[in-house]
This record gives sequence, structure tokens and C-alpha cells, in this order.
Amino acid sequence: MALYGYAGKILRLDLTNRKAMVLDTERYKSWGGGHGLGAALFWEFCKDKTIKDGRHPANVCCVAASAVCGTGVPSATGRTEVVGVGVGYDGINWFTRSGFGGRFSTMLKYAGWDAIVIEGKADKPVWIDIRNESVVIRDASGLWGKDTWATQLDIWKLIGIETGTHTGWVALDDLKDAPKRESGDAGRTTQKPAIVAIGPAGEKSGHGALIHDAGNGAGQGGFGSVWGSKNLKAISVIGTGSVKVANPMALIQARQALKTKYITSYEAPDFRQWSRVGGLAKPLTQAPIPTEDRRPQACQGCVNGCRSRSNLGYGNESACQETFWYNEFAQKVAKSPNEMGELSLKVADLCQKYGINTFVLQPGLPWLEHLHEAGLLGPGKKIPSSLPWEKLGTLEFAEKFVRALATGTDIGRDLADGFVPGARKWGREVDLRTGALQFSYWGCAEHGYDPRAELEWGYGSIMGDRDTNTHCFNFMFTTVSAALAYALPIRVDAKELVEIQARKLVPYAKDRPEVFDFSDRNMYSEAVAQLVRWQQHYCRFWKNSALFCDLKWPDLINTNTPNLEGATGSDDAGEHVFWNAVTGDKLSLADGIRLGRRIWNLDNAIWTLQGRHRDIVQFAPYIYDTKYEKNELFPFYMWPCRDEKGNWAYTDLMGRSIDRKGFEAWKTTFYRLEGWDTKTGWPTERTLAELDLGFVVDALKSAGRLGKERAA
Amino acid sequence: MSSQLPLPTAELAGRILAKCSYADRLPAGRFTARVGIMRGTVRGLPELHLYLAPDERSLPAVNFDRLADWIERVVADAELANATRAAARAADSYVSTCIATHALVERRLEQARAVLGLPAPGAHDAPGARS
Repeated sequence: MALYGYAGKILRLDLTNRKAMVLDTERYKSWGGGHGLGAALFWEFCKDKTIKDGRHPANVCCVAASAVCGTGVPSATGRTEVVGVGVGYDGINWFTRSGFGGRFSTMLKYAGWDAIVIEGKADKPVWIDIRNESVVIRDASGLWGKDTWATQLDIWKLIGIETGTHTGWVALDDLKDAPKRESGDAGRTTQKPAIVAIGPAGEKSGHGALIHDAGNGAGQGGFGSVWGSKNLKAISVIGTGSVKVANPMALIQARQALKTKYITSYEAPDFRQWSRVGGLAKPLTQAPIPTEDRRPQACQGCVNGCRSRSNLGYGNESACQETFWYNEFAQKVAKSPNEMGELSLKVADLCQKYGINTFVLQPGLPWLEHLHEAGLLGPGKKIPSSLPWEKLGTLEFAEKFVRALATGTDIGRDLADGFVPGARKWGREVDLRTGALQFSYWGCAEHGYDPRAELEWGYGSIMGDRDTNTHCFNFMFTTVSAALAYALPIRVDAKELVEIQARKLVPYAKDRPEVFDFSDRNMYSEAVAQLVRWQQHYCRFWKNSALFCDLKWPDLINTNTPNLEGATGSDDAGEHVFWNAVTGDKLSLADGIRLGRRIWNLDNAIWTLQGRHRDIVQFAPYIYDTKYEKNELFPFYMWPCRDEKGNWAYTDLMGRSIDRKGFEAWKTTFYRLEGWDTKTGWPTERTLAELDLGFVVDALKSAGRLGKERAA
Repeated sequence: MSSQLPLPTAELAGRILAKCSYADRLPAGRFTARVGIMRGTVRGLPELHLYLAPDERSLPAVNFDRLADWIERVVADAELANATRAAARAADSYVSTCIATHALVERRLEQARAVLGLPAPGAHDAPGARS
């Protein structure tokens, strides 16, 4: 029977012994793909799940596609999930995840592989050359030290691929070092190999990202540093196959339904529509692009195009945070928006090439500036640094700063394991109490959605393994706040919004709009715990495993439709409709969320073995000890809330902190709902059995970390 | 309204074009969909002008009461501070306040440069314009 949607094989790489082995995907199909598949493979092949640093040789890193990768599922087919123990956080680096877009997962599947398991450590630098079923571990000594772009170009040349934008048919048999064949041919393609590579940051620091093509990056989790520790420079894949879709007609019909019903008309667009999936292509470049000669650039198969290419020769394919983090400093030296944009985009390029995780730089550099201005950091200071701090904001400073962090030199030496460990080395724990260093959870940088206001973001992050980076609900804050800022009409009032959205929250919170009430009186409630559960479970399957893009899904409310209901869970264009069309499964939205709960629980079993206990599930001190100052910056942080009489209104949530006792009570509620031990947060045997995770019980028992059932 | 501001003295013009100390910085972040509210600072009126420039990607995130106080205290330009307060009162939205304040600051910088005989900076081009 055909395994619809899947390539059918998983590549298992043993770098220590330089062996490539094949696993059958069918055995792992119940995990869906992506994170679930990766977590299951990690569980099976990581022999020491107590490791606390992703650079440990026992760490297993899995790179996984999903069933929908390489098909026509909109905003879902081009993402790749990466899992394993991470690097760069504080204390225990949890088993964690990251992801990147582009065309790597699609090409991986066209080559016949659903995932790659990376084990061990090569004795010297290697890169992996995958051409359909052929897998060769090659010497990377000539690539080591090179940046991510040079590495990719060099690999294309090593393979015999013409670089540049011209393309044509390429026969795999004609490439350099092609395996000898007795008969037939290896296939042909018009595509170039998809390569994911590390740069100097992955080789020499804990800030390493994985970079694919020009601007697709997996930053959080430090997986570039994980690869660097394994002496793995890059993986290149070229495939000539295809993905078998169970019901192509159903897939096309669902695409059509999404386009005609849920996405605003390109002929008469509603630019102020409220929806996630329903907008037109719009680059997310967050710096002024000094040209109009540009076009959107998308992951393979995506209908969005959140990146941009232009004729400038810089900033191509970079988007979102990496184009933004230096703006604040660039504006201090630039004379015009264009000059600021040029600076920020060139700095984004630098980061892509060094392969550095820019996420930590957003709050990290202002903190370093603070230390410098306080006379603590600089030439001859307590924290010595010869960086040209007087030139902060220039390209010269950025180049030297990024290089120092990427290569573990200057201040990069002390920050190599992360900013919070660096702060401890410098005796600056006080900055975690005052908020001068805004790393809110697990040593992870604050995203811009302060946990004191935006509860689902903060709670989801601290109950998980990193900044959650799941924009399921927070469009409410941005959309409503922006409408107020522009004095535009509110498209949907708070009561209607929460009621419509709550219709989609199967199975935990269906028709329970109170889960969106983030008011002071409801912030530690069972309702908010259910919302966080829904978000985490939804994401663990639909986003992190099925690999629907976070920028577009879920679509809970949509002003492009007559009844305002979004595509999520719908019968014509819901996530499950696409999934089922590709795989032939009969999943519902809720089935996927239940699968997400299973995956989330496997994650928690791993965290427990690594050393998690509820006592250490704590925000950075400033989240409790200081208030998110009202109107310090933006005038309001709007979110639907109920008043004393139960009336809904969009309400400003600034001006408060998280109360320690309230949060402890909330944790107990969350653990109880999850079926975890409320005293420890560890998984219980009953919950594991209920989720068909009985296979992890023995490991937890042996470690003395199996949770106990507690009376309610 | 900006045209009603009296010309600054040479001393004030120097302060209008100067960069203030880190200690005197103004908290001024950005509000960006999918990134959130990011913290930042502004250390002078030329930077404030760039910071407030209309941008389709994001909005300035600044407390305008605090901004007026900062102009009064740090730049010591009471006329501009009062003008920004008046502009904020007259504006029908936060974004209108941003736009009006941007125009006021732009005019004040022009005045200061004129008083000191300095040329205008290269280009006050809008985002997206060809450089």
C-alpha cells in the first residue's frame, strides 16, 4: 500500500563511524512528521537523555519534513523542523526545536527521504552529499571556516552545478562524483541542490544558526552550534522524485476554497482584513528597503512570500527579526530612512553569512550598550572589550560585534554559552532582576510580547523549552492595537471575536470564550490554562509536525468570509482537509491536537529526564519584580478582557507584573489538566498510558522521575 | 503650526542638532506586527526625526507626554516641547500625533541648520524611494 505523502525512508547518519543507514518511515508514521517524528527518533537513538548541552556527543539532531512538504498545501509545504538538545540558554539547554523555510524539506522528499537523524561526531569536518538514494559523507576541511553563502556556492561547484540564476535540465549522472550505475539513469531536474549549512558561529560559538539559501534560518535552539560540535558543516540534497498525493483533486479543491473564500481578492484587496491566512503576499522585511524594484520571495509552494528580493545586491531573502534588530542603532548614525535600511539589511546579510542566531541580539546589544555606558564594559574596563563602541550603529561596529560573537572572541568569549550565562560570569544577575537584560524564560530573549501582558506567549514559553514563537492568538493584540493607533474602526468587537474564535478551540475549550480573558482577575485561571494547552498542542502537531506555517495558521477569525469564521477546522479548507487529501488519513482538527498533546508529552518526558522540575519552571526575576510599565513605549497593549459585570472589551494590559503565588497556582492547574504530577510537573504513568507513550515509563522509572498521581 | 515657532538662538540650534548623553536618552521602541513591541532609545532630535519617519512596516512606540518633557528638559527647547504637546492634543489618533510631531521636528531641524548655516543632510527620502 502506498504511503501517501511520505517519501518512505529516513536517513540515519552515524558521523562517528561514518555510516549511513536507512529506516522505514512507515514505523514512525503515527507521529505525522516534523517535530513528532524527530522527537520519536531522538527518543529511540539518543542514548543519554540527561545531557544538558547540545554540544554533547550523545546529542541526536533530527531534521524532518512532513507529509505535506513538497505538495501543494498552501503555506505548509516548504518548512523543515529541527529537533535535539539545544545550545545557548541558561542552565539546562532543553530538548528543543527550531525550523526554517525554503526548499530543503521538499528536495529531501524528492530525493526519497522524510527525515535525517544525525548521531555522533565526525573526527574531522564533513558535509553530506545526498543525491536521491546516494548518500556520501564527504570531507569538509576545505569548507570549514567559510561563511554559509560561500559554503553553499562551493558545494554547488563541488557537485558540478552551475551557479547563478540561469537554470536548465541537470542529469544527476552528469554531476561530479556521480555513483556508477549499471543501468538506467539517476534522473534529472531543473533545480539546484538545497543546502543547509553552518557558518563560523556554528563552528566556534553557542550562537550558531542553520542557514539555507540566502535567508532561511533556524536560529533559536542553537542548532548551528550542535552541528559544529559534530563537525558537520552542511547537508546538500538534490532529488528527482515526487510525492504521491492520496487525493489530488481534494487537494486542489481545498486550495481553491482557501483562495476564493478565505483570502482577500487580489483584484480588490481588503488591506485591513482581520485574518491570518487571508492576506496577500507581503514581505516581512522590517527595515526600509531602499528600492521599489523588488518582488516577494516565498518558500516552495507557499502562497505568501514573506521575504523579498531586489536589485540592490544586499538584504535579499532576509525577513523579520534579522532585518530589524540593528535598526535602533543604525538610526543613530543614518541620515535617512534609506541609509538606515541599507545598514540594517547589510547587517542582516552579515548575520546570515556568519550563521548567527540574531534573536539574542535584539535585547542583547542594548544590554551591552547599557554596560558600556555604565563604564563597566570597554577597553580597560571590568569587562574588557576592544570593540569600537563609539561607533555603535555603524556597519563597522556591527561587523566586528557579530564576528566577535560568532568566533568567541572579545566579549564573545564570555557570551559563547549564551547571554544569561555570560551575565552570570560578569556578576550581572542584577540585570535579570531589573529588566536591563530582557531574557524572560530559560535564558531566552524576550520576543516583544511581554509575558506580563501577553499571557499565552509567556506561559507557553515557560511551560515549554524556549520562546514559543507561536503567533496563534497574538494577532489580536497587534491588529486591535494598530487599529486604535490609526483611529480605524474596530472590525470585530471583543465579544464577537472571542466567541467566533472559541468555536474552533476543540477539544479543550470549544465555546469557552473566557479562555481569552487576560484580565487581572482571570490571568491565573483554568480557562487560560486551557488556552495555553490548546496552543501548545495545536502547534506541536499542526505547526511543528505537519509544518503548517506559523505566519498563516491557525486562521480562527477571518473578515473575508460572511460569517467571519476562519479556515482552521473548516470542512473546505481546514488544516485537516489538506492533510487528509495528501495522506489519505481521516484526521479531524481535534485528532491533530490530540496527536500534538502526545508529542508535547514525549517532549516533557525528555525534559524531565534532563532535569526539569516544577520548582525551576520560573520566569526571569524581572517578570515578577517589576511592572510592564504603562505607556512606557507604546500607549496600549490591547487584548479582549471581561469587566466585573462580564462585559467584553479590548483592554490595555500594561502596568502589571506576574504574581509568584498566582503563577504557582496556575502551574498546578496546568499540570493537573495535562495529567502531570502537580508537585513535580513530571509525567505520570496513567497519562503516558492514555497517550500510548508507555514506552517512556521505564526510562522515567529508572531515573526516579516518574510522576505520582495526586489527589485533586 | 511649525512655521509659528520662533527661530532658535545659535545656542539652542546647537542643542537641537546635538546628540544627548546615554543617561539622558529617551525610551522609544517600535511596534511591529509579528515582532511585537521592541525597546529602543533616541538620543537627539535628528535621530528622533528619523525614528518618527512614516514607515509602512512599523510604528514608533513612544510616550508623547514623556517626549515633550524630554525635549524641554534635555534639549531645553520649550517652544518645540509646547508645540508637540499642542500637536498631540490636536491629533485625532496616535499615528496622527506621530506624523504631526515628525513634521514639527523636521521644521525645527531646518531652522537650526539655517541659523547655524549648515547644509541640509543628504536626503530626507521616504522609505521605499530609490536611493
